[in-house]
Amino acid sequence: MNLEKVIFGFFVLLAATLNMGFFVGDIANPKLHNIYELFAALAVSLIATVLKFGDRTQIGAVHLATSLVADLQLIAAGVVWVWADEISKAGVTLESTASVVSLSGGALLANLVSVVLLVTETVTFHRG
Amino acid sequence: MSNPLLVFLELLGRREPVRKIPELADLEPEQSSSAIFVVMRRMRAPLITLIVIFSVSVVGLTLIPGVDGQGRPAHLGLFDSFYFVSYTATTIGFGELPWPFTPAQRLWAIVTIYASVIGWAYAIGSLLTLLQDRAFKQAVALQGFSRRVGRLRGPFFLVAGFGRAGEILAKDFDALGQQLVVIDPSSDRIDALELGSYHADIPGLVADAANPRHLGIAGLSHPSCAAVLALSNDDETNLAVTMAAALLRPDVPVVARTVSAAVAERMHAFGAPTVVNPFDRFGEHLRLALNAPSSYQLLTWLESGPGATLSDRGQPRRDGLWIVCGYGRFGREVAADLRAAGLEVAVVELVAREDHDPDVIVGDASDRQVLLAAGLERAVGLVAGTDNDTTNLSMLATARRTNPPLFLAARQNLPTSAALFEAMDPDSLLVPTEVVAHEVYAQLSTPLLWRFIQRLPAQGDAWAADVTRRLRDSCGDQLPALWKIRLDADQAPALQALLRSGKVRLGDLLRSPEDRDSQLDVVPLLLLHDDDAVLTPDDDVVLGVGDQLLFAGHSSERRALESTLVDDSSAAYVLFDRRIPSSWIWRKLARAEVEPVGERDREPVESRTE
Repeated sequence: MNLEKVIFGFFVLLAATLNMGFFVGDIANPKLHNIYELFAALAVSLIATVLKFGDRTQIGAVHLATSLVADLQLIAAGVVWVWADEISKAGVTLESTASVVSLSGGALLANLVSVVLLVTETVTFHRG
Repeated sequence: MSNPLLVFLELLGRREPVRKIPELADLEPEQSSSAIFVVMRRMRAPLITLIVIFSVSVVGLTLIPGVDGQGRPAHLGLFDSFYFVSYTATTIGFGELPWPFTPAQRLWAIVTIYASVIGWAYAIGSLLTLLQDRAFKQAVALQGFSRRVGRLRGPFFLVAGFGRAGEILAKDFDALGQQLVVIDPSSDRIDALELGSYHADIPGLVADAANPRHLGIAGLSHPSCAAVLALSNDDETNLAVTMAAALLRPDVPVVARTVSAAVAERMHAFGAPTVVNPFDRFGEHLRLALNAPSSYQLLTWLESGPGATLSDRGQPRRDGLWIVCGYGRFGREVAADLRAAGLEVAVVELVAREDHDPDVIVGDASDRQVLLAAGLERAVGLVAGTDNDTTNLSMLATARRTNPPLFLAARQNLPTSAALFEAMDPDSLLVPTEVVAHEVYAQLSTPLLWRFIQRLPAQGDAWAADVTRRLRDSCGDQLPALWKIRLDADQAPALQALLRSGKVRLGDLLRSPEDRDSQLDVVPLLLLHDDDAVLTPDDDVVLGVGDQLLFAGHSSERRALESTLVDDSSAAYVLFDRRIPSSWIWRKLARAEVEPVGERDREPVESRTE
């Protein structure tokens, strides 16, 4: 067992699961989407990105690209939430919630691709 | 062949597969971007530490209860909390926003401050360590080098080994405007290259040239690579470079240096490299000096390059004993050459070898008694050829004191001893690195001169004396510039029609455009006609289109000759004593009286082709 692989798989999966947790539920209902979960998803996704740094293989490059996409989407979701909550007069509305959740949905897709890559890599790995 | 269309076309036989230059560059992508990968890999841990510290600090701050402006209980939002941690962690410190903190919040803020300072210190420290790291510096240097080599557009020479010989050559070729790429295992030498004042930007890489991959990065697989020079001190490395170049780029000429005949033979097994053996050349020169002193004088004069003064060395004598001190590779070559010239040779060597030659006197050659035992008093020549400069110098001093008229030949090993050998002033001095540099320069810069030099010994001593006299008469004691012209449409547009009709004699061409009764002060050294070389062609030789000529003469004479080559009216005057106007209008006006020479001479050719 390789500890590096464990940590890598752990963070990639955790990023996807946290993202999933935030995403599920009625898309326009702010009560069903906890902002802390979004924060955790972003933090874990950033860590997963850094873990993918410096891998020269083709699959490593695609891994890094998916993570960067997820980061971008989650940061955009966070910015929209901050705008709605702190800056706009209307507060967190149906529309802004839907926008935050759909952005995180995009990130979820990228994270799922990441997980698929992880699984593919594991399945095609032959020992000896 | 990733494009399916190309595969399809090739299957149909429509498309010739492009002959690929062997890709040494397989590992190059890895090399070229490795610096950024090194950074990313090493920065993983510090970056993750920072992200974790930030996340924990931000979430912690939102969970600690606080109060708002009116004293009501309130929590900091995620946004405000992130704002606070950001300016605190980066030591900017705007204070407690948006409301003054409660003691509980301040407690957490203390934790945040210390944790984030540690995180930043760790990240920045890692980055600075990385920048100092040798592997990282090498990666950056390699990346810069391969980018510079890849950007080269004109033809360049790949120089493997930047020792003394490489440095002399780099200076000479740089003055000619020839681009070079240098690879040497010693970082001191590459530093010397970068500190040296060259016109062009010469890329240098610290790497072992024996590794074909390094040669590939240095441009062996580059389409503009025009020649490979293997000039390192190590025969094994030179052999490896020769092999790699011959196998991977058979189309590129290779010049290799060696001091061993066995290695030279192994080099010749790969294609046709030009092998330069300084010891061998010195022996040949010495033999030439014995047999044909004038040829030797001319040869050394031409090889020393423009501006060299004609040396009048004492002529070595043949009627007596020659002593060769040092019986290594150099001593053996020289002794063999001297014996082949029919001389009596005594050899002195410091240590007895297994293959002991009964003629070899064993002893320290710098010891006077040993030299006397070898027959110093009746000797006519001495070769100080050990690999130790101090020994060689003391040998020379002893020999000169004992037997002043002796012909002294010496081998200089270290460049630092140059001043001492100059002061000692032996009759013949071998500096192996300079021999290599001069030969390589002669071969690659002026191939016509190289042909001339190669065929010079066969021409005889009287001929050489005559050429030397002519050079001195027309150009003085300093060797003038050697230059070549090619009688093609580019360099001699005014002569094309005349050359085709076979009316151009060399003697007429060399008349002065100012006054055709006087000759230009140039000496034609070689005429190359259809790969057929004529040494010192005489005035009656008829020139043809595409002939190449090597001249010795000053640049003012060269300009005069060039005006004959490009200007119709100069050409007509110089060759046939006809004056034609040089401007178009005057030519039109004068046509009735004087028919321009070019027109008339073109006619017979055209009628023949019709």
